[in-house]
Amino acid sequence: MEIATSRTGRVTLTLFFWLLVVFLYLPIAVLALFSFNDGDPSFPLAGFTTHWYRDVLSNDTLITALGRSAIVATVSSLIAVALGVMTSFALIRRRFFGKPVVSALVFSPLVIPYLVFGISLLLIFTLVDKVLTETFGVYFGLGLHSVIIGHVVVALPYTILTILPLLERLSVSLDEAAKDLGANPRETFRRVTLPLLMPALISAFLVAFTLSFDEFAIASFLAGTQQTWPVYLFAQLRVPRLLPQLIAVSSVVFVGSLALILSAEIGRRLAQRRYGAEYSGGGFAA
Amino acid sequence: MTAGLLSAPVLWLVLFFVAPVVYVAIYSVGGITLFPTDTGVISLDYWRHFLGGGSIYLGLFWKSVRMSLTVSVVVVMLAYPIGYFLALVVRKLKYVLLLVIIVPFLTSFLLRVLAWKVMLGDRGVFNSLLESLHLRSPNHPIEWLLYSQFTVMLVLAYAWIPFVALPIFVSLDNMDRSLLEASSDLGCSRLRTFWRVTLPLSLPGLVAGFVFVFVPTIGEFVTPLLVGGTSGYMYGNAIQDLFTRGLDWQTGSVLAMFLLLVVAGLMLIFGRFVQVRSVAAD
Repeated sequence: MEIATSRTGRVTLTLFFWLLVVFLYLPIAVLALFSFNDGDPSFPLAGFTTHWYRDVLSNDTLITALGRSAIVATVSSLIAVALGVMTSFALIRRRFFGKPVVSALVFSPLVIPYLVFGISLLLIFTLVDKVLTETFGVYFGLGLHSVIIGHVVVALPYTILTILPLLERLSVSLDEAAKDLGANPRETFRRVTLPLLMPALISAFLVAFTLSFDEFAIASFLAGTQQTWPVYLFAQLRVPRLLPQLIAVSSVVFVGSLALILSAEIGRRLAQRRYGAEYSGGGFAA
Repeated sequence: MTAGLLSAPVLWLVLFFVAPVVYVAIYSVGGITLFPTDTGVISLDYWRHFLGGGSIYLGLFWKSVRMSLTVSVVVVMLAYPIGYFLALVVRKLKYVLLLVIIVPFLTSFLLRVLAWKVMLGDRGVFNSLLESLHLRSPNHPIEWLLYSQFTVMLVLAYAWIPFVALPIFVSLDNMDRSLLEASSDLGCSRLRTFWRVTLPLSLPGLVAGFVFVFVPTIGEFVTPLLVGGTSGYMYGNAIQDLFTRGLDWQTGSVLAMFLLLVVAGLMLIFGRFVQVRSVAAD
């Protein structure tokens, strides 16, 4: 006898699952559909067009905003991955006093409301600028640099969560073998550990990149006049004329982040398979 | 060596995470002057005013709690069957199907909210579809679809279902199947097995899922801004307005700190509960 479900139960659950999939994907599919509609986003459909996509290319502010997000996402993810590797090594390979405190510190950005974090950074940057202006007559102001600083903080725990499981499985004896064969610690890291960790690093980079590229709450407080893509998107939503264009870009961004996420996931799986470890669920978002 | 490894990340977090939060706490009691209007006198007046219910904000907080509680309960109830289906019913492809559920969560939050805005407006997809099918006259769209408390909760539930299905799936997937067989061999019906064995063992995942929705939705401000209108206005919107429009940063700091304390409290209670339970379940 099948204990988990009866036959009817199984059919019901299958049906429920696919209904939920439709519910999850339908709004996005509708959005994509209307990005090809020659008119407002409403029925009846007015005919097929690609001119919203072409309009995007000539919309300089929009392209600039996308470019800014790409910069912020690239820089903040690189920093987050570097810091994530260091933290993961310390947490896995070292014993030190206060480990629970460090671990709580690096994971707490997972649960802080981004709204609260965004205004905290806004307050402190305002203070720094005030002090700088009073003493030296200069100031940083808000902009991409402040967004990058914030995004590194919130991306860090995700990079650690991606790197930790792989590092846990990497045998320390590989490092020891390298040392016995005469490699110094730096060489060992560069020629043994780093190549083995590479899949996890790429995966962590992609996760951090997608997180940063779409992040609105923190960026809305810290971007100042240098609007990133989500901040720009949000500000322009009030302009009905622009809506079809925004929908078109959103569809492209959606497909792009889908591709990134899937490659991150596939990379992570391949890496784990290479070490003969069994995939244990949990995955990237855990 | 360890100090070398940890100094950069810890320094980054202390400078750009801990210090700003501590700074908001100090600012909320007037410990630092930032604007000419700040008095620079340390006092708990702003806190007293807020906690004593002297402003609309405490009421707004409870309204947000009610909304996120509703959303969390609904989402957990919808996500549980999904986790159950993937962990215990599907044999092959279970991770592929899990990915199908999770992928929407990993794409732009703003985009998913925007999709609903486009769907539910007076001239939006849904109303215009009804109109094209002659089910509704052009001058009488269903207005409550957009800009209501209901819409905010609908969109939030939509946004968080994938994320909650994950911990529930993991706890059910890690469950020892022979326990189910044992229960069945000892004469329990399927329903009884579920209530007495499966559900208790998946409780850690369920609680984790609940916390995963409740914590972020209680500080939510983007969704109400886009689809909430005035009746969907939440606590997070008040905080944002105090900083961007009202420019009453001290009251804003009090509200932000209060939210942070509530979240920290929840994590202390439930975080521990989740961990202890998952160790016990192993």
